[in-house]
Amino acid sequence: MPYYPTRKLTILALDPSVKYQNKILRYQIEIPNELLDPGPRGYRVHVVDYDSTEDSFHGPVEIPVHLDSSGVPKDPFEGKSDAALLKDAGFHAWMTYGIIMKTLARFEYALGRRISWSFGSHQIQVAPHAFADANAFYSDQARGLYFGYFPSADGKRRIFSCLSHEIVAHETTHALLDGLRERYTDPSSPQQAGFHEGFADIIALLSILSAPSVVERVVDLGVPGAKGESIRRSDLSPDALRNSGLLGLAQEMGSELAAVHGQALRRSVTLEKRSDYLTSGSKNEAHDCGEILVAAVLNAYLEVWVYRLKAIGDDEKLDRARAAEEGAELAERLLTVCVRAIDYCPPTDIEFSDFASALLTADWELNPNDAKYDLRAKLYTAFREYGIHPRSKGGTGHREKGTWDPPPEEFCYDRTHFDSMKSDPDELFRFLWENQRLFKLHDQAYTRVLSVRPCLRVGRDGFTLRETVAEYHQQLTMFASELKRLGVIKPPAMPDDTEVTLYGGNAVIFDEYGHVKYNIGKSIMDEKRQTKRLAYLWDQGAFERGASKMRGFSRVHLRRSTDWYRSVSAGKE
Amino acid sequence: MANSKAPTSATIRMYNVGFGDCFLLTFHYPKGDRYMLVDYGSTAGPKNGPKNYMEQVGKDIAAQCKGKLDIVVATHRHRDHISGFSTEAGTGKIIASLKPDHVIQPWTEDPKAKTNAVTATSSVYTNGKPDPQKMTAHFLGSLDDMRRVADGVVRFSQNVKAAGADTREQLRFLGEDNLTNLSAVKNLMDMGKKGKAYYVNAGMALNSLLPGVKITVLGPPTLKQTDAIRKEKSKDANEFWQFRSFWASQGLAAARALPDGHALFRQKASRGKKAPRNPVPPPSVRWFLQKSREIHADQMLQLVRDLDSVMNNTSVILLFEIGKTKLLFPGDAQIENWSFALNNPDWTKLLADVNVYKVGHHGSLNATPKSLWKLFNNKGSEHKHGRLETLCSTKAGKHGSVRSGTEVPRSLLVKELEKDSDFATTERYVKQIARDFQIDF
Repeated sequence: MPYYPTRKLTILALDPSVKYQNKILRYQIEIPNELLDPGPRGYRVHVVDYDSTEDSFHGPVEIPVHLDSSGVPKDPFEGKSDAALLKDAGFHAWMTYGIIMKTLARFEYALGRRISWSFGSHQIQVAPHAFADANAFYSDQARGLYFGYFPSADGKRRIFSCLSHEIVAHETTHALLDGLRERYTDPSSPQQAGFHEGFADIIALLSILSAPSVVERVVDLGVPGAKGESIRRSDLSPDALRNSGLLGLAQEMGSELAAVHGQALRRSVTLEKRSDYLTSGSKNEAHDCGEILVAAVLNAYLEVWVYRLKAIGDDEKLDRARAAEEGAELAERLLTVCVRAIDYCPPTDIEFSDFASALLTADWELNPNDAKYDLRAKLYTAFREYGIHPRSKGGTGHREKGTWDPPPEEFCYDRTHFDSMKSDPDELFRFLWENQRLFKLHDQAYTRVLSVRPCLRVGRDGFTLRETVAEYHQQLTMFASELKRLGVIKPPAMPDDTEVTLYGGNAVIFDEYGHVKYNIGKSIMDEKRQTKRLAYLWDQGAFERGASKMRGFSRVHLRRSTDWYRSVSAGKE
Repeated sequence: MANSKAPTSATIRMYNVGFGDCFLLTFHYPKGDRYMLVDYGSTAGPKNGPKNYMEQVGKDIAAQCKGKLDIVVATHRHRDHISGFSTEAGTGKIIASLKPDHVIQPWTEDPKAKTNAVTATSSVYTNGKPDPQKMTAHFLGSLDDMRRVADGVVRFSQNVKAAGADTREQLRFLGEDNLTNLSAVKNLMDMGKKGKAYYVNAGMALNSLLPGVKITVLGPPTLKQTDAIRKEKSKDANEFWQFRSFWASQGLAAARALPDGHALFRQKASRGKKAPRNPVPPPSVRWFLQKSREIHADQMLQLVRDLDSVMNNTSVILLFEIGKTKLLFPGDAQIENWSFALNNPDWTKLLADVNVYKVGHHGSLNATPKSLWKLFNNKGSEHKHGRLETLCSTKAGKHGSVRSGTEVPRSLLVKELEKDSDFATTERYVKQIARDFQIDF
C-alpha cells in the first residue's frame, strides 16, 4: 500500500456560532496520517469519550476505512450538513483529535523533533464530553485533556467546548508546553502562571489565523457592506482588525464560550497600551497576566500584517484572497518562532521579558533577513509598549537588540565527549559538573538534567545544522531561617521552620561543534528574584497547610469565576 | 443594676445536636423570663444519641420556655442551623406552636426581595452603571443556583463509582447541608407572618425587642455595604458578572436544564427495539476513566465547598449588650461577612470586650478570623478575672479533613480557645441533651 504522510479532516473553523451565508464556517485541516484504532486512537492521541457527570462511556468511534481512488483515507465529514455534524458524537471526537494532532504537528515542525508529553506516556487521553461544566483543562496527573459541555444561558442549547477550535488548541498547548518545560507549573511569580495561559492563547489564535480560508471569511464578517472578492482597505486598519471577527468575536456563542477561558483570547488584543501592568500588581491572576503577553504579540502581528498589505491593492480595495494569504503566512511564521522560542527560554521561573528575548533570538536565528516583514522591530516595540522589556539588551556587534548574547564564559570541554553529550543526560551532567562555577550552580542543591535533545535546522546558508538543546534544573529546599545565608530575605511573618524550595536552571544550546552557543537561565543564587518570589507566594497563601503544591489548571478556572466574591476579604488572614 | 427594666441575668442553653447549632437564651427579668431561640438544626446526630434527638430537643425547648417563645433567629439557610424548623420532620410544628413574636433572618431570605426574579441573561447595569438593586437580585439568583448545584452534588455522591468513600461522604454532607430546605424556610416565613419578621443586614439595631438588651446586627452586609470595602472596585461589575454566570451555568448543568435532559448522545429506542446500551469500557481506557472520576469528584468538592462558604456568609451576626456584658452570636459567618464589621472602628471597639462568644461555624478556622480573635480583650489564662467564655456546638469527623487542614472543629483553633478562654464544646457532654451557662449582668 502506498504511504501517504497526511490526511484531510473537516473541522469547524472557529466554533458553531461563526457562520458564513448561514452555514457554520468550516475547513479541512491536513494532519499526519497514521494507523488509527477505534477512538480515534493514534500513536499520540487517544480519544476516550467518557462523561464523568453522567458516568457514561459513549464508546470508541469506529474508523471508516474509505479510501479514495489513490488510496488516501477519505475525510469522513466532508459534505455533511451542519446539523449532522453537531449531533454526531463521532464528529466531536474527530475534530478534537484533529486539532490536537495539528497542534502537535506544528510544534514538531517548529522544533524539528518529536515532543514528549510531560507524564511519560506516548499517548495523551482525551475526553471530548468530560463533564457538564463550562470548563476545559489539561491534567498531567490524569495524563489527559478534558473538555466540558454545558447548557446555554437560556437553557435551550448545549454548548460543547470540544467544538471550539480555540479551546482545543489552547488546552493542547498547555500539555505541549508542559512537555517542553515541566517546571513552569511550579509555584513562582504571577508571570509564570500567566505565561502558560498567554502562550496557550497566542498559539490557539495564531493557529486559527494561519488558515487562509478562515481569515478570508472572518476578517470582515458582519461588517456592514462587506462582501465580494475584495476587501475595503478601511476594514483592514489595525483598529478595524482588532475589533474584527477574527480577534474580537462578540457573537452570542462566543460570549458563552468565554465562560471557559474568560475573555482573554477575544479581547486581549484591545488591551490598552500601558507599561505598568506588570509592576502595578493589578494583573496577578493567571489569565489577566497572560493577556498582557497576548496583547503585545498580537498587536505586533497586526502591525506587520497591515504593513504588508500596503504593497497590494489600491487605496480603496484589496483582493480578499491575497490579503488573507498575507495574514495567514505571517501567522504561520510567528507561530513557528513562538514555539521555537521555548528552546531559548529559561527552564524555571520564566517571566515575560525572558520570552521576549527568546522570541527575538529564535526569529533572528531562523529568519536573519527580516526586511520583508520587519517583524522583530515591531515585536520589540510592542513588548515595550506593554512594559515587557526584553531580558537581554543585545545589540552588540552584529547582534540585534533584545536578543540573547553568547555566553562570555570559557567553558571547559576537554573532559567530556561531544558525541554522547548530544543525547546522554549523564554526559551532559558531567559537563555541568566540570563547569559548575561558570554555570553558577549551587553546591547544596539537587541538580537534574531534564532533557538533552538533538535538533536539526537549516542554516542561513542553506546547510543543515545540528544543534543540541539541553536543560537542567536545580532545586534547593531549606528552612526559612537559613535563607539569609543566601542573602534572601524571608517574608516577615514566615515562621523560621517553614520549608522553602528555591529553583534555578538553564537552557543550554550547543552549536554544531559542541560549543555553548547560548546559556539562558536563572541561577538559584539570585537574592533579588528569590526574595520577590517568596514574598509573592507567601502573600498568596502558598505556604499554608493544605495549599496544594501545584494548583492544577482545573482549579484556576473556579478561582477566577469566584474572584468577585473573594475580593472582599480584608487582606490576608 | 441601674435600669430596673433590664434583665439581671441570662441562661444560655447549648443543646447537643451533634453537628449543628441550637441555643436557647433565657433573659431573666425581675418580672419574669423572656426566651430567644438561636438556630435549631442538625446534620449529624450526637454520638450514641437517640434517634429522635431533635424531637427531644424541641420538646425541651417548649418546656423550658413554658410554651411561648419571644424571638426566633435563623442565622442562615443551612440544614445544620434550620433543619429543626422543618414541619416535615414534625419538630417544626413544636416551634410554630410556641408562637414566636419576632422572627429574625438575614436579608437574603426576604421573600419580597425575590419577587423581581432575574435570569442570568438580564443586565446588572442601569444607564451604563452597575445597579445595586439589580446586582442584589442577581446575587439572590446565584444563591438559588447554588442550591441547585448542591442537589446535583448529592445526586453525584450517590454513585458508588464516582469517588472514594471519604470523598463521597464529604460531598453528600456538604451537598445536603446546602439544599433548599423548603419546609423549614416556609415554616420560618409563616411564623414571621404571624408574628413579625425581620430580614436584617449589618448596621440594623433591634433594641426594642427585649427591654434593656441592645441588639446590634453586625452582619451580613448588603452588597452595597460590601462594595464599600472592596479592594478593586473597577473590576467589580465584570467579576460580579463572571460569578453570576458561573453559578447560573453550574445551576443549569446540575438541573440538567436541557431539552433532552441528560441524554447526551444516548441512543434512542427504535421501533420494537430497546435502546442499545453504552458499550462496556475496554481495558485500555479504564485507568483514565478512574482518573476522570477522581478529578471530577475533586472539582465537585471544590465547587460545593465554595458555595458552602457563600451560604455561611449570609449568616446573621448578633451582638447583645446588656449593661456592660456582651454576647456575640455570629452563626457561621466567615471572613467575607466579617470584613464589613471588622472595618468599622466603632464596632471593633465594641467587640473588644465581648464576654461570651458563640464559636463561629462549629469551630472551623476561617469562621473565627484572626483579626477578630485578636480583638478580644477578655481572653487570657485561667486566672484572668472575667475570662472570655466560648461556646462551641460541633461534632468532629463530619466537615473538612485533617489532611488538608480544613477539619471542623479545627484543632489549632480549639487549642487556642482552650488556652485563652473558658471553652465549652458539645462534644464533651455527649450524654446530656443540653448544658446551661449562667451569665450575671
